[in-house]
Amino acid sequence: MTFSSLTSDTKREGRGWLTLEAILPHLFTLLMLLLWWGYAQFVPDYQLPSPWTVARRITLFVTDPVDMMQLAASLMHVCVSITLAFAIGCVLAGLAHYVLALRLLIDGRLTPFLNAFSGIGWLFIALLWFGLNHVTVIFAVTLILVPFTVINVRTGLQELDRDLLELGQSLTRSAFRRVTKIVAPLLLPYLFAALRTSFGVSWKVVLTAELFGGNAGVGYLLNQARQEFDTETIFAIIFFIIIFVAAAEIVLFRPIQRSLNRRFARV
Amino acid sequence: MFKAAGSSPVQRFVAEGTIIVVLVIWWAGARHLPSFVLPGPLDVLKATLSFVTRPEIGYHAVVSFARVIMSVIVAMLLALGIAVAVRAAPILDGIVERRILTFLNSFPSVGWAILGVVWFDISTPTVLFIQTAIVLPFCLINALAGFRQIDADLDELGMSLTRRPLRRFFRLTLPLAAPFLIAGLRVAYGICWKIALVSELFGASSGLGYLLMRAQSTSDAPMVFACCIVIVVIFGVTDFLVLKPLARRISVNQGLSS
Repeated sequence: MTFSSLTSDTKREGRGWLTLEAILPHLFTLLMLLLWWGYAQFVPDYQLPSPWTVARRITLFVTDPVDMMQLAASLMHVCVSITLAFAIGCVLAGLAHYVLALRLLIDGRLTPFLNAFSGIGWLFIALLWFGLNHVTVIFAVTLILVPFTVINVRTGLQELDRDLLELGQSLTRSAFRRVTKIVAPLLLPYLFAALRTSFGVSWKVVLTAELFGGNAGVGYLLNQARQEFDTETIFAIIFFIIIFVAAAEIVLFRPIQRSLNRRFARV
Repeated sequence: MFKAAGSSPVQRFVAEGTIIVVLVIWWAGARHLPSFVLPGPLDVLKATLSFVTRPEIGYHAVVSFARVIMSVIVAMLLALGIAVAVRAAPILDGIVERRILTFLNSFPSVGWAILGVVWFDISTPTVLFIQTAIVLPFCLINALAGFRQIDADLDELGMSLTRRPLRRFFRLTLPLAAPFLIAGLRVAYGICWKIALVSELFGASSGLGYLLMRAQSTSDAPMVFACCIVIVVIFGVTDFLVLKPLARRISVNQGLSS
């Protein structure tokens, strides 16, 4: 291929940052953009706008205050839903762990039920109950997220180190102190995993919920663009979301995960 | 999910009792509310049974089921192909992990649905395309992890036993990665029912998603509830009867069952 000259160059340089391994993903991105651009020359704009047009539309999108308000609305939906689902999930998992009588109800009935329930189903039920508004979106997204949180936190509670709990019992008789000083820190990786999964899933579904059940948010914009066959805007929104979610993952979640892994590595 | 065995009579009483209480509250509440807001449990049961008694409605469930199975299989095969390529040429790892996976993972599911309809017509292949695109990252994560954790010593042993790569792949590599692949299959199957049905809202004139959409637009609340229940039942039954036993068998044998 055409990279052969590059390969020999990098080999000569040794194991610097400019190795083939480090450069290949960027070359791949470039190649894909090139292919996209090339293909866009042959098909009409409403089917595939060129990367250049999409990039311009994204800049318009980012600088337009009205569009940014819609993004803020989506962010609000995501944050509220994640918080609610996190709280509900923690309470359910805690009840299943500490109240024996409820264990079968939550582990054997409620969680499998919620886990099997379709997200689209929640959305349409919410539409019947609340109509087109914020509540519908938040309700649907929250209920989709709850099983993910329950399962993660529940696993964390089951994996708690019994010896450490026993140690805690011999150190203090205050249950509150034991929870805040021992249980919560031990649960941290699982709570974080729950948040990370929730974030990924919520962005996947929030646009669907807004498209069908919202009167605000990026999904609502997407619906308008779809009705007007405005493929440029559709592409711009999709790519903006991809960049946004990927950036959050790289800037926020991965570093935290790394430090958690370091701290909680079992020796 | 978690060990349900060894549940005490008290737990059983609470579990089944709560379900009965919820059903009674539902029934009582529905009597005071209009049917398009909260249909009674009996109406919903009737609508759910119509999936069995009326073939023209049951047909939609069968169509959705067939589509889900097909897209999950296609997605898994694609993921396997990519994972095998990465294993054969580790230099591709960066491209797959940092580009393809990140891209697919961040792609909003409704985006695929809209693009599928813009690019193709409203038909079953479009639905399959959308669903496959949505569940592919979930398959890919597990396929990559499955191949990555294979013991290098066992791999070497395989090399010394046979020189035929295909034989090595089917006898050694695939069984070793199987627990991860099954886990991926289970996740993908769940996501397909829960999220990827969005494809049928745009791209189809049949299937449960289409039925849900139609019921919602005619305010046929019992049908909306019935569709949800049918999805829960299909997912629950197939997961319990097929995927869970499969996962258990394979993980108990550590992937070494022939």
